[in-house]
Amino acid sequence: MLRNETSGFGAHEVTMPQLGMAQDAGKIVSWLKRPGEKVAKGDPLFEVETDKATMEVEAQASGYLTHVSAAQGEDVPVGQVIARISESADEDTPSPAPPSAPAKALPEGKQITMPQLGMAQDSGVLVTWLVELGAQIGPDDLLFEVETDKATMDVPAGVSGWLAATLAQAGEDVPVGQAVAVISAEKPENPVARAAALAPSKPERKPEPELKPEPKAKPSPAPAVAAAPAVAASGRILASPKLRRAAQLDGLDLARLVAAGQPQPYHMRDLTQLQQLSSAATAPAPAATALRMQAECAQDGFAEFADWATDTMGLTDSDALLAGLAGASLGRGATIAVARFGQRRLYAVPQTRRLSEVAKTDAAPDLLLRDLRATPLRHVAIGAEDVPVLTVTAHGAGLAVTLECSAAQMGAEDALALVSEFAGRLSDPRRHLL
Amino acid sequence: MAKAKTNTEDYLQMYRQMVRIRTFEDTANQLYLSAKMPGLTHMYSGEEAVAVGICEALRDSDHITSTHRGHGHCVAKGAEFKQMFCELLGKAEGYCRGKGGSMHIADQSHGNLGANAIVGGSMGIATGSALRAKLQGRDDVTVCFFGDGATAQGLMYEVMNMAALWKLPVIYACENNGYSEYTKTEEIAAGSITARAEAFGIEAHQVDGQDVLAVNALAAKLVARARKGEGPFFIELMTYRYHGHHVGDINREYYRSKAEEKDWRENRDPIIRFRAHLVAEGIASEEDLDALNAQIAADAAEAVAYAEAAAYPPAEEVDMHVFAA
Amino acid sequence: MREITLSQAVNEAIAEEMRRDPTVFLMGEDVAEAGTPFKVLAGLVEEFGTDRVIDTPISEPGFMGMAVGAAMTGARPIVDLMFGDFIFLIMDQLCNQAAKTHYMSGGKLTVPLVLRTNLGATRRSAAQHSQSLQALVAHIPGLKVAMPSSAYEAKGLMKTAIRDNNPVVIFEDKLMYQDKAPVPEEEYLIPFGVANVKREGRDITLIGTSSMVQVAEKAAEILAREGISAEVIDPRTIVPLDEKTLIESVKKTSRAIVIDEGHQSYGVTAEIASRLNEKAFYHLDAPVLRMGAMDVPVPFSPALEDLTVPTPEAVAEKARMLCAGEMIHAAE
Repeated sequence: MLRNETSGFGAHEVTMPQLGMAQDAGKIVSWLKRPGEKVAKGDPLFEVETDKATMEVEAQASGYLTHVSAAQGEDVPVGQVIARISESADEDTPSPAPPSAPAKALPEGKQITMPQLGMAQDSGVLVTWLVELGAQIGPDDLLFEVETDKATMDVPAGVSGWLAATLAQAGEDVPVGQAVAVISAEKPENPVARAAALAPSKPERKPEPELKPEPKAKPSPAPAVAAAPAVAASGRILASPKLRRAAQLDGLDLARLVAAGQPQPYHMRDLTQLQQLSSAATAPAPAATALRMQAECAQDGFAEFADWATDTMGLTDSDALLAGLAGASLGRGATIAVARFGQRRLYAVPQTRRLSEVAKTDAAPDLLLRDLRATPLRHVAIGAEDVPVLTVTAHGAGLAVTLECSAAQMGAEDALALVSEFAGRLSDPRRHLL
Repeated sequence: MAKAKTNTEDYLQMYRQMVRIRTFEDTANQLYLSAKMPGLTHMYSGEEAVAVGICEALRDSDHITSTHRGHGHCVAKGAEFKQMFCELLGKAEGYCRGKGGSMHIADQSHGNLGANAIVGGSMGIATGSALRAKLQGRDDVTVCFFGDGATAQGLMYEVMNMAALWKLPVIYACENNGYSEYTKTEEIAAGSITARAEAFGIEAHQVDGQDVLAVNALAAKLVARARKGEGPFFIELMTYRYHGHHVGDINREYYRSKAEEKDWRENRDPIIRFRAHLVAEGIASEEDLDALNAQIAADAAEAVAYAEAAAYPPAEEVDMHVFAA
Repeated sequence: MREITLSQAVNEAIAEEMRRDPTVFLMGEDVAEAGTPFKVLAGLVEEFGTDRVIDTPISEPGFMGMAVGAAMTGARPIVDLMFGDFIFLIMDQLCNQAAKTHYMSGGKLTVPLVLRTNLGATRRSAAQHSQSLQALVAHIPGLKVAMPSSAYEAKGLMKTAIRDNNPVVIFEDKLMYQDKAPVPEEEYLIPFGVANVKREGRDITLIGTSSMVQVAEKAAEILAREGISAEVIDPRTIVPLDEKTLIESVKKTSRAIVIDEGHQSYGVTAEIASRLNEKAFYHLDAPVLRMGAMDVPVPFSPALEDLTVPTPEAVAEKARMLCAGEMIHAAE
């Protein structure tokens, strides 16, 4: 284990360590402590990965982890401060507010809570905020992304207003029902950002939020997914082909077995339990009639194509290009919404499929294109929305394309065609021009 | 020149067959050069007297095994141009339905057990055919054609041993054209070729392979004796191939000189020699023979046109004939 | 029903077919008076004479090639290859000549011959007399491959092989020559490409070839005592392969182990497992396992040799794991 060099006054700064020669950055694989959590000197603090090795970095001081400024999956230059170890958890306040100020009163407004996404789920990890603190938002704008042991999804704001307070930080596991944001009717003067660990609402949770029991005594290297017992590193559920087929035919979700703590891999012997779990579920299962399919592009041809289009065709709006490729993959003229970090831009893609004729529009979208390439997200399973949703995520050196829609929105054949067409165009956009 | 046969029709048949082989090969070479023929081929030109002299001594019920240089044996054992050109072009009407090609071409209905693209690969087959004849009390004889290069294969010694032990009606016909692919025979074969057979107690002969009458006379004599159970026999036929090892073997001066090729073509050509003999003996006139040549050339042209227009085998034939019913 | 040894069954099959068809003859090393080292052919030369039971010199490529030529011209030779290991000596004649002649001639020539040879380790014969090389032959289109698992199959498959118009290779397990099984007095044939369900079961399918059928049956007995119901299937011929019966069984049981005494890598087990994977994937509740001989030359020392082949206990152990849903060869 590596000792982290700290410096600073009063609070110890946690910096990205230099782990080898000719290394200028490290990737934070996972935080092993939550913001606000008590840390003893020598505790494993975070896991870092370079091109040569992955190792845990231990705390060099005792106190509370605060001011975490680098998220999981982020590449951080060597030497950059990524957190502090402070004397109290309360010190963890955003920079606009005076560090010594006591916890401010929350702005008035509608409280947004951590949603219940599935049975037997009692908390969700807030993966990332999709809206900047203080920004104005509409009811459909995606507010934050949440990950449970069975799914990852974007949560829309649901109301209009301004994001006046964030009550949880990226990476935090927040109990279901606990407030994570406040949306105010008026533009807030002093937006508040807090960690969930400070939430006063459930005093019995002091000083650390209660987590589901973890199967392994060893400090979990990835708290974000620690709630899922023995899930494969890829996030895939390990199950036999026969059980998968049976579950698919019956519209059963294998994730229920994961959520119930049943060890993997699953076989036909687990079907009875899966059926019982499913019938016990109160909520109707829209997933049963939903389509979800994923394609992988070994290479990301789009970035280079966008550069080329800018240079040779004068097409500088890469979102318009993306919309054009998606529209063309649909095989008809369409309105495409391109969503990124909670922002949506609408484009009309003409029947001609000419990229130069893609134009902005206000029409209702036929297809939502969620661009998560720049995020650490790799796997989305959010479910059908009002229109079919194509999600693009990074995937190794290439990209992954996930289509989610209801069976009513799109037939399986059309869906397959859309995904394969779009994946093909992304991996080799020249194909579009041919 | 030997005088084994005096029957005019037999002589003209031998002449016709040699010219048919030469014409077939010249035409095949043109097909290859004009990129109309898939794959490649090995020309028999120059060795015509060997195949014709021997096959004219055989009955239709006798068998032969052939080699990668097999067009000559195929013609000599009774094949027709049309099916041969179809096979060369991979067409369904070929003797092997386009599945064999140049290196496996054979008209099986006249006792040709196939051209074999493994050098020396057919020696077991020929000897086995002779074993079958003996076991079943038949009087057919099998001739195994192979080149000087194949004498380096161990299989030959195994089967000659058994053929000699069991007195099988097989004749090993070694076409010694002087070259084992791109190497002089004297560089790959120690000692005498015929002595190899003699070591097993097999009666061995060497004959001028450019003299069709000499070849035919010897073959007729040995075939008749083999039929009576006096086999096996071994013949080394001294011959020459005009082309390279295969059609693409163009620059071959590193292993043999152009002067040597010219000498064989001009002074020892089996067709020129036999033609002169036919005219000198008054068996045929120059005009008769020119007309015969022209007829054969016309036949070849017609067969090529037919083959070029013929259909390829349908796709469903690709897995047909893997197993016999 | 009377019981006879596998050796007697082969002898009977050949004798019956030689009586029935005068074009059938036998050739090989020491097949006549010696009746082969395993004495399988003893007595045949007395009935059929040395013209039809032919002792050859030790020239495997030579007599194999001659059998091809005899078969092409109207005979039905049975070639006796004393040890399966000698297949390497005859590869050109078997695979380039016999296997391809029918196809290369556009269906005009046929090669109706039988190559009878053997397989099987644990006879303390070391690396050059113990191999099970059926996969090499089964790989070549144009060759049929039969693998009798008892005297009953040995006779029925041999008679079918002799009447088949293709080159057929029969691998007998040389350790089974003295094993007895019920064999009817009356004539019967076993068609190629028809598997035999030796034992019905519902939890797992054990597919075995040759003596591995017996290994599978013993494993099934062990498993039955533990409440695991194993189905045992003998494909009898691996070319042609009765895929349908195998697939139907696996659809029923959801699990399978394929057992063959050839080396495990690139072998018969891999081929069958792969077909089950391709054609019964959505019915599989566990990975299909291969159990072949270890990928080592067969060692001489009994202490080592016995480690190299699948045993009933080892098969039962793997079957147990599959049925328990244990992770087998979990991805790292």
